[in-house]
Amino acid sequence: MKTINVKINGENYTREINEDMRLLDFIRDELKLYGTKEGCGEGECGACTVIMDGVTVNSCMVMAFQANNKEILTIEGMEDEKGLHPIQQAFLDEGAVQCGFCIPGMVLSAKALLDKNPKPSRKEIKEGISGNLCRCTGYNKIVDSIEKASQYLEGEDQ
Amino acid sequence: MKKNLEVVGKSVIRVDGFSKVTGKATYSQDLTMDNMLWGKTLRSTKPHANIKLNLTKAEVIPGVVRILTYKDVPHNHHGVVFKDHEVLSSGRVRSIGTPIAFVVAETEKIAVEAMKAIEVEYQELEAVFDPVEAMKEDAPKVHENGNLLYHYKLRLGDVDAAFKECAVIVENQYKTSMVDHAFLQPEAGIAYLEEDMVVVCAATQYPHFDQLEIAEALEVPTEKVKVLNPAVGGAFGGREDITMQIHLALASKLTGRPVKTVYSREESFVAHSKRHPMIMSYKTGADKNGKLIAMEAKIVGDTGAYASWAINVLRKAGVHATGPYEIPNVKVDSYAVYTNNPFAGAMRGFGATQTPIGHEQQMDMLAEKLNMNPLEIRFLNALKKGSKTATGQILEESFPLKECLEVLEKAFKKDAKGVE
Ligand code: FES
Ligand code: FES
Repeated sequence: MKTINVKINGENYTREINEDMRLLDFIRDELKLYGTKEGCGEGECGACTVIMDGVTVNSCMVMAFQANNKEILTIEGMEDEKGLHPIQQAFLDEGAVQCGFCIPGMVLSAKALLDKNPKPSRKEIKEGISGNLCRCTGYNKIVDSIEKASQYLEGEDQ
Repeated sequence: MKKNLEVVGKSVIRVDGFSKVTGKATYSQDLTMDNMLWGKTLRSTKPHANIKLNLTKAEVIPGVVRILTYKDVPHNHHGVVFKDHEVLSSGRVRSIGTPIAFVVAETEKIAVEAMKAIEVEYQELEAVFDPVEAMKEDAPKVHENGNLLYHYKLRLGDVDAAFKECAVIVENQYKTSMVDHAFLQPEAGIAYLEEDMVVVCAATQYPHFDQLEIAEALEVPTEKVKVLNPAVGGAFGGREDITMQIHLALASKLTGRPVKTVYSREESFVAHSKRHPMIMSYKTGADKNGKLIAMEAKIVGDTGAYASWAINVLRKAGVHATGPYEIPNVKVDSYAVYTNNPFAGAMRGFGATQTPIGHEQQMDMLAEKLNMNPLEIRFLNALKKGSKTATGQILEESFPLKECLEVLEKAFKKDAKGVE
């Protein structure tokens, strides 16, 4: 057993965990945040993407103890008191959501990208989500929605 | 009178969009209940074998509640058309991945440990993996009634006479491979009891079929089975056959507790159907102007160890074998054949996706031989409104193939300019 302190979606958690627990299981089974998904368990699909200290990670490939003293954002932390995050709104407006299983990971990868590069080209967007598989949409509408999100965010800044 | 339409012609936000962008949508992985047990499926690692099980070591592991085998299944058969799947193998496995036992334990870890502790003695049988081989008289039999499951015949005009009239003939064989749907959400489900009713929550394309198949397998009336379908993480045909639904229902009924199971990606690959691989032999002939006169095709579809939707898929492949072209003389034979491969079933296009690999390359090669533009030969032979297909269907509604080809033509020209 090991004790870890993690800040997730702005809240501090201290928990005793087994060394062999994955960050994904910590988020889902310990904290009951089921928005983070498991599609492969081996770092291929990106459904389990979360943002850890500003960078996206596949939470199925990170052990929970590695998140000690880190700050993590999951899909549940995207909304604020004003409602949906502009990225989420753009995904809705552009019709980029089908089965939805990839979407939490996609939204977080989009956020990590736009935080660093507020006006990405389509090519940069595709690179930004290259670690996230979607089997339903064919990606075009997801790329459209990230472009739209970039505009929404720019509008917000002005 | 002009009606004000609220949805048609407008871009509306999908009803489940909000729950999906916020991560609040509930998939079957996300369901948990108090007092819940975990199930794990032991599956065959051999393609064709007689098996003997020894549960002794597994049963004594602390935390193992029950290990289900075929003896626990009242009616040990299921299947969407033919009931050729066993819920749990009664002694012979016909493909890798065939379910053998369902371990129910207090935790997932214990269930996995117990599954590994079950001893399976395989007495391997000769197997067949090539559907053409499987059609031969002396091939190993996958099922008692032989390997040929279905033969679809289409005959129009007189192909033998028509081929003699052709200025050009192209003859080739095409093969397509097995494809997995790889829907992003692996299979998961939970079952529990509501008094004497068993409730199964699982991602499925057919809750109503599942209800019937569960009721049949458990030998209970359908009104004692309820199937709930939470958010489904993609399917594409891959969730049409039963995977875990009966295992879960039975486990919950026998233990009286909720039982959950989640497949890994690896298990998902061996648990559900595949797209039928097809071997397609095509002979197509045209006159000197490029007008199609005759086509003959033989299509062999590998349905693996179980029928699933094979007859529907191979019928569709046969019906669509001409492609969207008008041909006066047609002979098609399509076959669905059992092998010891993973079973094939529904996948987007349902048999109509494979044949274009054949008929479209035939068109390109005919055009090449005739020194024609590949688009021109398609325009010349395209079905249109009022045409009759090889199966005798008159296309009374719109059939805008020409319009589609025109769009393509423009795009090609634009592309070609871009290169300059
Ligand atoms: S579940 Fe982590 S990358 Fe697929
Ligand atoms: S919406 Fe289904 S996987 Fe992306």
